[in-house]
Amino acid sequence: MADRPLVCVVDDDESVRESLPDLLREFGFAVEAFSSARDFLASEVVARTDCLILDVAMPEMSGPDLQRELGRLGRDIPIVFITAHVDEKVRPRVLAQGAVECLFKPFSQTALLSALEAAITAD
Amino acid sequence: MEFDLGRVIDVLPGLVWTASPDGRADFVNKSWCEYAGLSFGEACGDGWLGALHPDDKADLIDRWRVITVANEPGELEARLRRADGEFRWFLLRIGPIAAASGEAVKWCGVGTDIDDHKRLALTSQARGRNFEQIVDGLPAIVALFTGDGKIAFCNKQMLEYLDETFEQVQAKASAYNFHVADRDAVLARWAVSVQSGEPFDFEARLRRADGAYRWQRTRVFPLRDPEGRIDLWYGLCTDIDDRRWAETLLAGEKQLLSMVARGVALAEVLGALCRVVEDAAPGRLCSVLSIDPDGVRFRHGAGPSLPAAYNEVLDGLIMDRHYGPCGMAANQKTQVIAEDVASDARWAASPWPGLVLGHGLRSCWSTPILSRDDKVIGVFALYQTEPASPSQREHELIRQFTQIAGVAIERAQSDASLQQSEARKAAMLDAALDGIVTIDHEGRITEFNPAAERTFGYREHELLGRPMADAIVPPSMREQHRQGLARYLAGGGAQVLGKRLEMTAMRADGSEFPVELAITRIPLEGPPSFTGFLRDISARKQAEEELLRSEAFLAEGQRLSLTGSFTWNVATDEHAWSDEVYRLFEHDRSAPVSLPLILQTVHPEDMPLVDEVIARAGAGQDFEIEFRAVMRSGAVKHFHVVAHRMHDRSDGLEYIGAVQEITERRVAEEALGKVRSELAHMARVTSLGALTASIAHEVNQPLSGIITNASTCLRMLAADPPNIAGAQETMRRTVRDGNRAADIIKRLRTLFAKRDAPSEPMDLNEAARDVIALSWSDLQRTRVILRSELADDLPLVMGDRVQLQQVILNLLLNAADAMSGVEARPRLATISTEREGDDQVRLTVQDAGVGLDPEATSRLFDAFFTTKRDGMGIGLSISRTIIDNHGGRLWAEPNEGPGARFSFSVPRAAEAAAGDLQLVVQSAAAAPQEFMVKR
Repeated sequence: MADRPLVCVVDDDESVRESLPDLLREFGFAVEAFSSARDFLASEVVARTDCLILDVAMPEMSGPDLQRELGRLGRDIPIVFITAHVDEKVRPRVLAQGAVECLFKPFSQTALLSALEAAITAD
Repeated sequence: MEFDLGRVIDVLPGLVWTASPDGRADFVNKSWCEYAGLSFGEACGDGWLGALHPDDKADLIDRWRVITVANEPGELEARLRRADGEFRWFLLRIGPIAAASGEAVKWCGVGTDIDDHKRLALTSQARGRNFEQIVDGLPAIVALFTGDGKIAFCNKQMLEYLDETFEQVQAKASAYNFHVADRDAVLARWAVSVQSGEPFDFEARLRRADGAYRWQRTRVFPLRDPEGRIDLWYGLCTDIDDRRWAETLLAGEKQLLSMVARGVALAEVLGALCRVVEDAAPGRLCSVLSIDPDGVRFRHGAGPSLPAAYNEVLDGLIMDRHYGPCGMAANQKTQVIAEDVASDARWAASPWPGLVLGHGLRSCWSTPILSRDDKVIGVFALYQTEPASPSQREHELIRQFTQIAGVAIERAQSDASLQQSEARKAAMLDAALDGIVTIDHEGRITEFNPAAERTFGYREHELLGRPMADAIVPPSMREQHRQGLARYLAGGGAQVLGKRLEMTAMRADGSEFPVELAITRIPLEGPPSFTGFLRDISARKQAEEELLRSEAFLAEGQRLSLTGSFTWNVATDEHAWSDEVYRLFEHDRSAPVSLPLILQTVHPEDMPLVDEVIARAGAGQDFEIEFRAVMRSGAVKHFHVVAHRMHDRSDGLEYIGAVQEITERRVAEEALGKVRSELAHMARVTSLGALTASIAHEVNQPLSGIITNASTCLRMLAADPPNIAGAQETMRRTVRDGNRAADIIKRLRTLFAKRDAPSEPMDLNEAARDVIALSWSDLQRTRVILRSELADDLPLVMGDRVQLQQVILNLLLNAADAMSGVEARPRLATISTEREGDDQVRLTVQDAGVGLDPEATSRLFDAFFTTKRDGMGIGLSISRTIIDNHGGRLWAEPNEGPGARFSFSVPRAAEAAAGDLQLVVQSAAAAPQEFMVKR
């Protein structure tokens, strides 16, 4: 297991937490899914996460909030943001904060895979 | 006197006559005349000669002349005819009657009847001649002994046998020629017979001239004189050496074969064999070597008279033809005679000659021991301490005992292999995974191995002797089983022998289960017995059913998901397609599939893409592609293909993959994309950003789910083996998300279809239901329980549907936002509609949230006023504008409990229009409904 990169999915949408991990496992990644930023931060996988797929809009702590918090904690985890909102302003904002990519739902698996490759190569 | 003398002469009991020297009789006495039956006158002169036997006459005349010339008295014998014609022997004595001058003037003869004696003597003489002839002609030694053991006579055979003269024989001590081991017994027996006068009969070895001792049966009989006194002993020796030899060997052979038959250990049998041979051939040292089954090494068999050290060297020795005669005999399968090891050049380079000579052995005769099928299984060897070669008889001996040694070794080997085979059989029975059950011709169990015990739950001892049918055949099949066995025994042939059958069997607890069964008849003579090999195939049956089910699932899954699987051998261009692939490509199953055929269908615009992928596949890389194909009907289908290279293929590069038809998805995506761009446009051109963003979000979520799930499904089906269960789950989600998207699209179409007719009669309940559906996922995410209490007899209102829905949505989302921090109580929101007075219809959204800040209440509806951190502050402001435009009003009020209540009322439409839709409204309306978000 140790040789498979660990990808964590943080999204409050259940259907994303259902479907995305399956696809990521098919790609060959190890996957952990969390329904909130808090749950992720509280988990023991933070330290060994190779890439974070993070929903932008979540109640309480949003995706960008978590991105900032990780920066504050000194955790340099590559982040791929995903969002269902068609807000073009979000993308440059999170990229400026250091995100690897920001994908708008629905995204193709090719786009997802290349974002992940970029993330993990960057790591 | 003279006269008187004549009378005396007449009465003498003999024949008296006188004759002149020339033989003419001048006187015959009365006895003469009476005997011959002649008168005096007839007898005188030459007359008496007439009584002579014709055969004797010439003799007599000669003899007479000789006597008379010698002028001395003499005797002669002749036969004279009696008066009755019978000739009798007479002794005729004649003497001269001399004159004074000394000259014989007359001859006087006296005849005495010697016939009885003469006949006896002649007979004896004849007999003596016959005896010698006969005795010399006998194939036996004959001798006469005196009572003190001195030899009185022996025949030619005896002299030849001993190669001695009679005198030499006479000079030797009694019984000297007998074997030293027999001599005392012979003398003792002789003494007994001399004492008792009884004949005796014994067997002893008699030395022949060449030094060989041969067994002779010696019988000695006493010869008695007429008075019964023992005169001589008559001895007869018959050569029984060949018989005796044959008997000895036969007895030895019998003993050895009986040992073999009794299963005596090989070493013991071969040891006995050596002793028998050594007894039969004195001076020979016998050795038997066997050969390992691998045919490489000698094994010590027996060599009781050979030095132990020598035997040890031979044991385990490699069968080398250059080592010694035994190795050569074994390798060349021929007898090897080393007459004199010291001078034999054949093994000059071998240590063997030194070894044997060191043990005092000088010659060695080695003979290969052959099995029945003519394989060398050992070597039989005789050693001598002197140079020697085998006699004819020894050749015979070697031949015979080599054969017996072969029988013994072969028996031991077959015993060993039988034991091995028995042990193997026992081990196989014990270790067999299959249940093994043997029955006799009456169907009774004779064998029940551990696997059968485990399978059936019986112990072997419980079943031995029991009819198998009663134990392990289910009651319903017993009769059939019995009939089958009976039919076979009656010569009816077997339907079941030698086949693999599947049947039902029964355990000890009565439960039935499927078994696979093979029955063989044991190939032995006597009443038939049968062995059955049984295997519990419950698990296999189950697995088969599961496999069938799984295959059905796969086929169904492929059909449902429009996904087919395929393999493609690049080198041979061989394709294996699942049914679904044929269906997707609308390709006839009977026509062979080839790459050119597939390429014909590819949409010309996608050709470069496909070419690139084929090039990549040719290089052994996994590939994934989406392309369009043109069906024969002209329809264009979109396909998504994922393929993986199969590794460890000897027959070249081969891919396994899945192809999914994504036409509908593409069409839906295109439609959704269009809606999305319309929404984006709307978001830009209208001030209703919140609504459009929310709708876009609602559309994007299921779309994202559809794509993710479909991609996952495709990968799962392309895996080897396909992950059917996973694919089914992802497809289930795809269907769900698809429905969700379809729902949204349907609602949106309704939403925008009436954009150009802003004011018309409309059903507020329906508008509310659309909004509920659109905001479903937001409510779900925020764990809001929405209760709808829509009045079922609500009149239509006049208004712009889209604008009113924006207001409703705004109120709903506000309610959800107001409850986002609520944890202590259910996040319950209620949406209700009701009449207000005669001409108004009211819609209220009530929440259990933070409630209204009295200070803020007055500013709620101002533009850019917001209590939310990321709010825009335009929602309620716009909403109030919309309601105002509809001639209605929008207001907020606190609840009695926690939370607030926002309501708006708008004027109802004209009565006529309301009546038209009454029925529809009634059927669509429902009693209060709860939408519970699962969490």
